[in-house]
Amino acid sequence: MSTPTSYALGRPYRLSLDSYARLSGVHPDLVRRFLALGLLEVTKDSRGDLWFDPTQVRALARIQRLHLDLRLAYSALGLVTDLLDRVSELENAQRRQPREGGPRWT
Amino acid sequence: MARDFYDALGVSRDADRSDIQRAYRKLARTHHPDVNKEPGAEERFKEISEAYDVLSDPEQRTRYDAFGEDFRRVSPDVDPAQYRQSRARAGAGAGPAGGGSRWSGGSAGGGVPFDMGDDVDLEDLLGGIFGGGGRRRAGWGPIPGSDVEAEVEVSVEDAYRGTHRSLTIDAPGGPRTLEVDIPAGVVDGQRIRLRGQGSSGSGGADAGDLYLIARIAPHPRYRVTGRDVHTRLPLAPWEAALGAQVRIDTPGGPATVTVPAGTSSGRRLRLRGRGLPNPRGKPGDLYAEAQIKVPSSLSEKEERLFEELRSVSTFDPRSAP
Repeated sequence: MSTPTSYALGRPYRLSLDSYARLSGVHPDLVRRFLALGLLEVTKDSRGDLWFDPTQVRALARIQRLHLDLRLAYSALGLVTDLLDRVSELENAQRRQPREGGPRWT
Repeated sequence: MARDFYDALGVSRDADRSDIQRAYRKLARTHHPDVNKEPGAEERFKEISEAYDVLSDPEQRTRYDAFGEDFRRVSPDVDPAQYRQSRARAGAGAGPAGGGSRWSGGSAGGGVPFDMGDDVDLEDLLGGIFGGGGRRRAGWGPIPGSDVEAEVEVSVEDAYRGTHRSLTIDAPGGPRTLEVDIPAGVVDGQRIRLRGQGSSGSGGADAGDLYLIARIAPHPRYRVTGRDVHTRLPLAPWEAALGAQVRIDTPGGPATVTVPAGTSSGRRLRLRGRGLPNPRGKPGDLYAEAQIKVPSSLSEKEERLFEELRSVSTFDPRSAP
């Protein structure tokens, strides 16, 4: 009788292109350019609409800061942000390691 | 190239230009040989670049969709109008197949094309580092290839004696096999340079170097720090108390350690020069850490003797500082 259904229990909090652009203070066309450069993470639904995770607001702010303060070209920023992420990941890993952590058994 | 261009970029066949460009940008910057030191990265980067060169150009993409892998060999007569257009575009500018300066914004059909501002140079940084990859760069001289790193794991015994390895690495011309001598006394993290085995240079320039990074494999008995080798030395209580000559395995073969009387667990006995050899100087030392073991079950006589020892001895291991 009953048809098996599955619903997500909570709707993920996501931003549409327009609200994302408004929150970030940039024009939606600029957001599209950033997307084409692979600078932002985005999900596309079946209708072709774009949805942004709220963390991407900070990501865009960093892109704008680097672009304006250091005059880096947008096309270079993908590499720069990737490398900055890698550096901070390594720095975190290094901080977590005990300084004189006994000899390692290999 | 054998791989499907859409697969190479990880996009579906109905992806729009924006999707294709996004996928290309992200893949290119993670697989560029100056960013990614793995030996297969150059190969992958070229594959991505070639796929993007074709798929970013609407005419070439149409031909690729229609004719598949051999689309370049299909006679122009098959679709003359389209072919003429793609020729005209290819000859028009220095950009990647004419796809550099205009962008269609948004999803299929919905966006308005716009020109890029002057501050965005699409061909900077990642574009066409290599020669024969289908991208042309006018005005640049020969550019040497980047260096590549690969890890090679050696056992403690092989690090002691030196060893020979044959390694297969992915290269743009197909997998290449290298015969490598790993010298005796290699330490963890040491880089072995193989000149000219890295990424190929463009315009006749030299190839980069391949660095092999030695990793000492985990070993059940030995632990290696630098050239020093640490191992455990299990002792019977009477050997530890009375002193003994004990045979011990070292990476270079068996050796004899003199255990002084009154050795407690944790004491490290050094065998000078019995660690990993050093081609330029003093070899490392071997440290054997005493570990007192007791039998898990005692015979009647052993038990009696231990009980006698308990009644006679005044030793209190917990009173000592």
